[in-house]
Amino acid sequence: MSSSRKGALLAAEGSAEKAIIGFVKLALKQGAFDAVLVPSRVPAGDSFAYHLIGNETVLEAASPLAPVMPVQGARVISSITRRGKGKKKIAAIMRPCEARATIELAKLGQVDLENITLITMDCPGVMPLSDYFENADRGDKLFADASQKWDTGPMRPVCRICDKFSSTGGEDLHIGTMGTKNGSILLVPRSPKGEDVLSKAGLSLEENAGSWETCVNKLTEERKQKRGESNEALRSEIEGIDKLTKAFSACINCHNCMRVCPICYCRQCHFDSDKMKFSFEDYLSRAETRGSLRVPTDTLLFHIGRMLHMSLSCVSCGMCEDACPTAIPVAQIFTLVGDRNREVFDYVPDKSVDEPLPLTTFEQNELEEVEQSCAGVFAKQES
Amino acid sequence: MTKILRTGKGTEDGLKELLRFLLDNGKVKGVLTLRKTDEDGAVSYSLITAPAGIDSAVPLFPLMPVNLAKQLSLLTLNEAATEPIAVVLRPCELRAFIELVKRTQASLDNILFISSTCPGVYPLEAAVEGKVEEHVPKYWEAAARGEPAPDVRSACQACEYFVPYTADITVSLLGNKDIGKETTFSLNTQKAELFVEGMSGEFSEKEPDAPILKQIQSTRKAEREKLADEAELRNLGIDELTKTFSRCIGCRNCSKVCPACYCHICFFETETAEHDAPYYETELEKTGCVNMLSDTTFYHLVRLFHVGASCTGCGQCSDVCPANIPLWAISLKVGGAVQKAFDYVPGRSVEEGLPITTFAPEEFAGVV
Repeated sequence: MSSSRKGALLAAEGSAEKAIIGFVKLALKQGAFDAVLVPSRVPAGDSFAYHLIGNETVLEAASPLAPVMPVQGARVISSITRRGKGKKKIAAIMRPCEARATIELAKLGQVDLENITLITMDCPGVMPLSDYFENADRGDKLFADASQKWDTGPMRPVCRICDKFSSTGGEDLHIGTMGTKNGSILLVPRSPKGEDVLSKAGLSLEENAGSWETCVNKLTEERKQKRGESNEALRSEIEGIDKLTKAFSACINCHNCMRVCPICYCRQCHFDSDKMKFSFEDYLSRAETRGSLRVPTDTLLFHIGRMLHMSLSCVSCGMCEDACPTAIPVAQIFTLVGDRNREVFDYVPDKSVDEPLPLTTFEQNELEEVEQSCAGVFAKQES
Repeated sequence: MTKILRTGKGTEDGLKELLRFLLDNGKVKGVLTLRKTDEDGAVSYSLITAPAGIDSAVPLFPLMPVNLAKQLSLLTLNEAATEPIAVVLRPCELRAFIELVKRTQASLDNILFISSTCPGVYPLEAAVEGKVEEHVPKYWEAAARGEPAPDVRSACQACEYFVPYTADITVSLLGNKDIGKETTFSLNTQKAELFVEGMSGEFSEKEPDAPILKQIQSTRKAEREKLADEAELRNLGIDELTKTFSRCIGCRNCSKVCPACYCHICFFETETAEHDAPYYETELEKTGCVNMLSDTTFYHLVRLFHVGASCTGCGQCSDVCPANIPLWAISLKVGGAVQKAFDYVPGRSVEEGLPITTFAPEEFAGVV
């Protein structure tokens, strides 16, 4: 199997995770970057958090393939660079969906990528937070077993249908772990920045990436099929206003889906603003129109508003679903809606920072069929 | 002497009859209570204005999807209720509402408060799993015995404030052996007597339930200590706190659902609380490693500081925590200590000033 793409093969003892740490340590030592942003276990041992690490010894204990995603990495990069880039060069080691969300945030002006090198790896998925937190020791074992076999059973529902679990081209450097032997890893540069890191680390691109690509492509096709089937099944459950209302009937309006979402970056959501606080008379008259008014009000409107604002950029990371106190399959619903919306605009939220967001791009001639059908509806109403 | 009204129906039906009576006779324009919103049994609070809507009401369903104080505050924030409404809520919700009134986030006008001697509610998780309905018979059996059902929120099992302080009408539930046969309303205020005037039932004057409620109170105190121990909260030093909050993901959902946390924008969501690249780089130079989730314990401490005195122990924070942190126990322990220090019971009376805004020339001499 041959491919035009080449990578650097790094052999390692034991696991892919150890090999990744080995590579990052080497690159840090060689001055390819000044610090590494990577998940590490918290001192109490029962969870993980992103740590910004400049010290090789500390890096040893990092967990680039942590079993859970307590915070979406894009949010972390945003909190560092939202107000402008720093002086240090930082390598961010994250899951592909985190890197993709970072790219979307860069387009939205919430991330400065100049001093950031995005490094992703083939991702086995992550476990739902509640499953892991029930018993962290058991969670560690379950994840280790499943991820080795690429079994997505214990992972987030959206991880099971993820077709972008590997390199997507928006990152600077990708670490292939599929189809390699004995925990060795394949380092594939995807940008000049990525090439620079490898050359500083003294690694040359001698390995043909063909067998890794074949593995990735095969699984991608399987996942695409699964995703399509899952979307279709969900669609029959939620399509139409009645079914959608039902799907969100347990919503308590806490907006936690929005607060953990990497794309929802507004400091104050419209739905938390004074604009959504009405007078008593308003509430009462709304109740009187239909005999009763569900409280909290406007929950479905919130979700539809959020869909409208961020679904094109949704990377299906699954944070929202994990953070929902009433187990609404928010991430699966947004995956379906996002996929369909992106199809309309032929948009993929990860290819490149230079690709403009559909909602900020004006095209003289687009969606004419929508315009025409709307025009038809209006004409009918007027006649 | 408290006036009592007894009607000859099982408690939930009796209460629904009262609500229907209030709407039918134009005594209120709306009733805010729990209601089944679809055929699959989803339960939400609803403002019901049509008498027929009472059919699907489940005013005593043992679930608190949201703390109603927060919602009622939203309804009466911009203006007080312009028409009379009746609200059915739990004692902790009512107390939280009184706290919000003190903080000028809500208005009492035109509201008839109906509460109950509360047997507790199930965690949201039970509703997600669709298990509340099947628990209901067991729940009422326990309530009649004066016990909380075993699976209700831990916060409810440890609750000492199951008797409402400021309700106009109290429905007798805890320790009431006749729950299934009749409904007993205590009419605590003149307002209540006015509203029920014309309702059929047996009126009397008798102190209900007092001895059994006292007895329940003392067992709850013991339960509270036991549960705090189980949550490993005997000593809350900085090491224990850091450990307790180690799983926190910084989503701040505990504050979003908390009825006492009313700030439009939390300090921790403002620019002041944000760091920038130079800050992180300086920290990195100092220590070689920066935890990017480092302000979480700080956040929780500040929240306890801000709302501890007003915490009514509803347990909503614990229910929505994605990391299963026993927030209810921490709030109860810290809030309880603050409340004891100031001899303050949140929501006991609307006249009672908030400790933090009340100046007493001589207090805590030892601390000063």
